[in-house]
Amino acid sequence: MSVSELKERHAVATETVNNLRDRLRQRRLQLLDTDVARYSSAQGRTPVSFGATDLVCCRTLQGHTGKVYSLDWTPERNRIVSASQDGRLIVWNALTSQKTHAIKLPCAWVMTCAFSPNGQSVACGGLDSVCSIFSLSSTADKDGTVPVSRMLSGHRGYVSCCQYVPNEDAHLITSSGDQTCILWDVTTGLKTSVFGGEFQSGHTADVLSVSISGSNPNWFISGSCDSTARLWDTRAASRAVRTFHGHEGDVNTVKFFPDGYRFGTGSDDGTCRLYDIRTGHQLQVYQPHGDGENTPVTSIAFSVSGRLLFAGYASNNTCYVWDTLLGEVVLDLGLVQDSHKNRISCLGLSADGSALCTGSWDSNLKIWAFGGHRRVI
Amino acid sequence: MEAGSSNSSGQLSGRVVDTRGKHRIQAELKRLQQESRFLEEELEQLEKMENASASCKEFLDSVDSKPDPLLPETTGPVNATWDQWFEGPKEAKRCGCSIL
Repeated sequence: MSVSELKERHAVATETVNNLRDRLRQRRLQLLDTDVARYSSAQGRTPVSFGATDLVCCRTLQGHTGKVYSLDWTPERNRIVSASQDGRLIVWNALTSQKTHAIKLPCAWVMTCAFSPNGQSVACGGLDSVCSIFSLSSTADKDGTVPVSRMLSGHRGYVSCCQYVPNEDAHLITSSGDQTCILWDVTTGLKTSVFGGEFQSGHTADVLSVSISGSNPNWFISGSCDSTARLWDTRAASRAVRTFHGHEGDVNTVKFFPDGYRFGTGSDDGTCRLYDIRTGHQLQVYQPHGDGENTPVTSIAFSVSGRLLFAGYASNNTCYVWDTLLGEVVLDLGLVQDSHKNRISCLGLSADGSALCTGSWDSNLKIWAFGGHRRVI
Repeated sequence: MEAGSSNSSGQLSGRVVDTRGKHRIQAELKRLQQESRFLEEELEQLEKMENASASCKEFLDSVDSKPDPLLPETTGPVNATWDQWFEGPKEAKRCGCSIL
């Protein structure tokens, strides 16, 4: 077949794909008879109401000398690892505020960090395109340098996010500026599977975030600069199970909903969205109104029931607490006493859901908990 | 580049076919055809898909069923560790790292 014939077929195929996408979009719109907020209102539900001193900052973790970019909790024992522009990982006991480790990284340009499920190792990655693993039982020299126990090399772009597979210390998933995600075997340092990339259908721009399902660790979600989120099954890497459209800008952050059947996203378009895994429906858009309407969302986390969605934004110290049922902002942690002094870049819930940790460009981490009167129904 | 023909001195005859992009176009065409198939599958699934309201109900039921320590009003049971952040220090310990 000649080049010109191929080009003709390519044009026809492009039109076919575009038509199919339009039909899909139309059909999905027909199925969107309501959203979560309208449905909940119709059921007579009212928004969560916080008193002025209900959610309080109960710890400030000081020690980094640069912007905090990433944090992760252990599955138990309330420890946190954080990564900063200062080129260090710090491991904290969140209850006592004490630092147990301060690891000086071989490459200072770190973007992400994660705790292993057994709490004995930490992983990090960044502009060096490598995911490095450190054992917390290794001895640091006087400078804080710890030998790398494993390097996961193979990405052709920066490592934007890393997460261990729940309950599997030997497996970890990374996302990258090279448009792929990789599932790694940490014991061998080898790739188990590559999701997306040149010869497979996948993201068409940098991948910025991953989140693995707690209830089904074979599933994970990725968010990308191509404005989509994709659901992957680690047992079938050749194609995404489903692609979720809707955002109008980079999807900076994705997080599975606690029950594992829905997930949230945060984007440069200023919105957070809630999607249903099984049907693919976009269930809700969380869009602030007024000033800062389109301020990029940097990071999100759900409370343990999913009723609250915490979202950090790329301006001031804004951290909205959304009532996910009613689609309303019920609190701004940036206005609470002792709040951060600069943008919140990362956040995460403790394993039992009793505390939220926020990390900020002001170089601090803060722990937030409910200190008011609790009514049990 | 494929040469159309050449004379005895090895010069190109002037009719040159440019195939530099051929393999790339073929690969992209294959990807588009694959994408078409995936999209058709998804359209088929959507024919039998339930409305969003069914998913919204599932969502509400899921949220209501879990105890949540950060809510002013929540279903039980309450875990005693929820208030650990407001209890006094159990033991005084020096900072574990010598760097900071």
